[in-house]
Amino acid sequence: MSLYELTGVARYFQRGPTTVRALDDVTLEIEPGAFVALEGPSGSGKTTLLQILGALDRPSAGTVMFDGSDLVKQPDSALAGLRLRSFGFVFQQFNLIPTLTAVENVEAKLAPVGGTRERALQLLAEVGLAERADHLPAHLSGGEQQRVAIARALSVEPRVVLADEPTGNLDSATGGEIIDLLANLAAEHGSTVIVATHDASLAARAPRRVTMRDGKVTGNVHAVPA
Amino acid sequence: MFYVRYLRNELVRRRTRTIVTAVGLGLGVALVVAIASLSKGLDRAQHKTLDPLAGIGTDLTVTLQPQQQQDQGFGGGGFGPGGGGGGNRDLIQANQSVLTDLSKLGKPGTHFVHDFFLPGTQLTFPQSAASQIASLDGVAQTTTGLTLLAEHQEGIVPKIVATLKTQAKTQTITRNLPRPSAQDFAKMQACLQKAGVTLGRPQTQQGQGFGNSFGGGGGNGGTTRSADRSAFQKCLPASMRRFRTRFTTPSQTLKQVLNPPQTNITTSAYTIGGVDQTSPNMGVVTTAQLTKGAFLSPAGGKEALVATSYAAKHSLKVGSKLDLNGTSFTVVGLVSPPLGGQSADVYLPLKQLQTLASEKNLANVILVHAKSSSDVAKVKQEIQQALPQAQVASSKDVADTISGSLVDASNLSHDLGLALSIVAAVAAFLLAALLALSSVGKRVRELGTLKALGWTQRMVVRQIAGESLVTGILGGIFGIALGVLVAVAVDAFGPSLTASSTTGSDLANLGVSTVRTATHSVSLTAPVGIAVLAIGFGLALLGGLIAGTAGALRAARLRPADALRQVE
Repeated sequence: MSLYELTGVARYFQRGPTTVRALDDVTLEIEPGAFVALEGPSGSGKTTLLQILGALDRPSAGTVMFDGSDLVKQPDSALAGLRLRSFGFVFQQFNLIPTLTAVENVEAKLAPVGGTRERALQLLAEVGLAERADHLPAHLSGGEQQRVAIARALSVEPRVVLADEPTGNLDSATGGEIIDLLANLAAEHGSTVIVATHDASLAARAPRRVTMRDGKVTGNVHAVPA
Repeated sequence: MFYVRYLRNELVRRRTRTIVTAVGLGLGVALVVAIASLSKGLDRAQHKTLDPLAGIGTDLTVTLQPQQQQDQGFGGGGFGPGGGGGGNRDLIQANQSVLTDLSKLGKPGTHFVHDFFLPGTQLTFPQSAASQIASLDGVAQTTTGLTLLAEHQEGIVPKIVATLKTQAKTQTITRNLPRPSAQDFAKMQACLQKAGVTLGRPQTQQGQGFGNSFGGGGGNGGTTRSADRSAFQKCLPASMRRFRTRFTTPSQTLKQVLNPPQTNITTSAYTIGGVDQTSPNMGVVTTAQLTKGAFLSPAGGKEALVATSYAAKHSLKVGSKLDLNGTSFTVVGLVSPPLGGQSADVYLPLKQLQTLASEKNLANVILVHAKSSSDVAKVKQEIQQALPQAQVASSKDVADTISGSLVDASNLSHDLGLALSIVAAVAAFLLAALLALSSVGKRVRELGTLKALGWTQRMVVRQIAGESLVTGILGGIFGIALGVLVAVAVDAFGPSLTASSTTGSDLANLGVSTVRTATHSVSLTAPVGIAVLAIGFGLALLGGLIAGTAGALRAARLRPADALRQVE
């Protein structure tokens, strides 16, 4: 059974008098355990699709079947529960809470499910930041901040990690490390990873590449396992 | 607990924002606390000063005020001097003694000091009227007082010297003398001859004139002249001799207008009250008004109480001597008399004042204490029925005559105090709301992130509400501290407010002014009540909480995608 089954998903935004079609009739299937790269130039609809997949947004039309149930029909509280337990997000801007230390940022995700500080520290150790657990985001480098974000996303063992341009604010070497870390850890935790990127070289490392343009899926490539 | 640490971190690591919000809230709270305290202080000062009768253990005062076109004397009511005629006549009579009779003050040129005691506009009546009121239903106690207007005069008795000067006058009288008869003439001749004086002419020439014969006589030789004259005088007929001695000057009246003598007499006025010293808790002044020293001793000796303001003006203190028309009184205490009709500058035992003012057994005010406060209106009516000429004043009537900055401030606080408090509270509330909203507004993306992490709307709101609550508590504490500080400052610097009461009336057409003004100065205090602090604190809390929660709710309601899209 597929993890995601999207049928005719559309998302319109009203910008003044004009209607922007961020997503236009997207039909897509994603199987569990995959590492998917959502590829395309900025404005192609990658972020919007990612947000709909992560239950951060609702589509204007279509159905989004996740694990057998339609996200469109779920109430907000159920979506919050899904985000908490089933999804982990990694953002281009890292989106760490600025007043919380590295470990506390991980705890922000763990606390609602009753996770402990020890678990948070353990995850920071997994991303190689055990020593910097008590630093505030402002005192961490971009790459370190993104590692904290990855630790946070993976802390609850989510079904899916959704990363929106996770390397967009990093130099290419660090970006590569981050993608590798994400891919490896996701595999270890058994999470499906969906990464939105406009960087073709990064996308090329993914076994599955979904290409987007103007809100439509234009390419859907399953790389043959080597 | 993670959420508590998060809360603490938010407040501590965003110190500036926390302090600004808390200070803003605190200023609002301080404003509320300060205004409420000031308002309370004014009320207290007003209660103390503007309820003049309560301080003297009295519910009603009964006085006899002269009335224009009064048909019937007071005697009709069993009161006093009686007799018909208008009240004004009584008043002039009563106040006439001040018209200075200089001759009574001493010998010209001597220094004199004299105090005249006048009943002012409150006519006197026998003290016995009090027992009439005491017998009325609902009256618990009565006491009498005598409040007089004193005119203090001091100076030198003037000497009046009139210098008269009359003019010298010459009177000329011309008269024909009757001719002497022949017989007289013969007699004269004989007489003269006897004296040795010879008349030059024979008797036959007699008809030529008497005058010439005289002249001839006078013209005789030098050495015998005076002897001749006396002989001549002696020999004149009796009728002619008498004429010469009878002459009177006409009567004359001399008039000179004397200029008024120059004097250095100075006059100052004060009020003097006679107190029933045996009733220290009810009277025109009571022990409650005592600020220094002791009350008049029950024996009623030569003792005096002096109002603090008067004492300050005349450098009097406990132990000072007060000389009133030759009687020396010892100041035993200083008092701060209540405002209103019966206040005075100097108080003496009633009997002493009655003696000084020649008002034996007379009083001009009866103080009435009702059995219960609910009886006051009834008693007032009874007194008015029993003594139709009397003026019965309740506490409120007396308070209404008081004016001054205290009254203005008090009225202001009454009219504006509440409104001002509400405005301050609303301002504090709005400020708190604005600050909380703006601080949440800057965190929409952060709240979106929390939602993306799986936080429910409720959790986000709870977190922000907790922050607002703590900020509110901090602001409340700061505000209370600031408010108390303001109140303490007001207490310390105590701006003074005055209240004055003017009694009597200016009867200029009668030549008598009986206007008396008593002024009280009350230092403003700002007592801070627990209730005020609680309200102020509650406002800060509520303001911060409601605003913070509302802001959080608005942000948390956004779809996470929309919240995340917000630019920080």
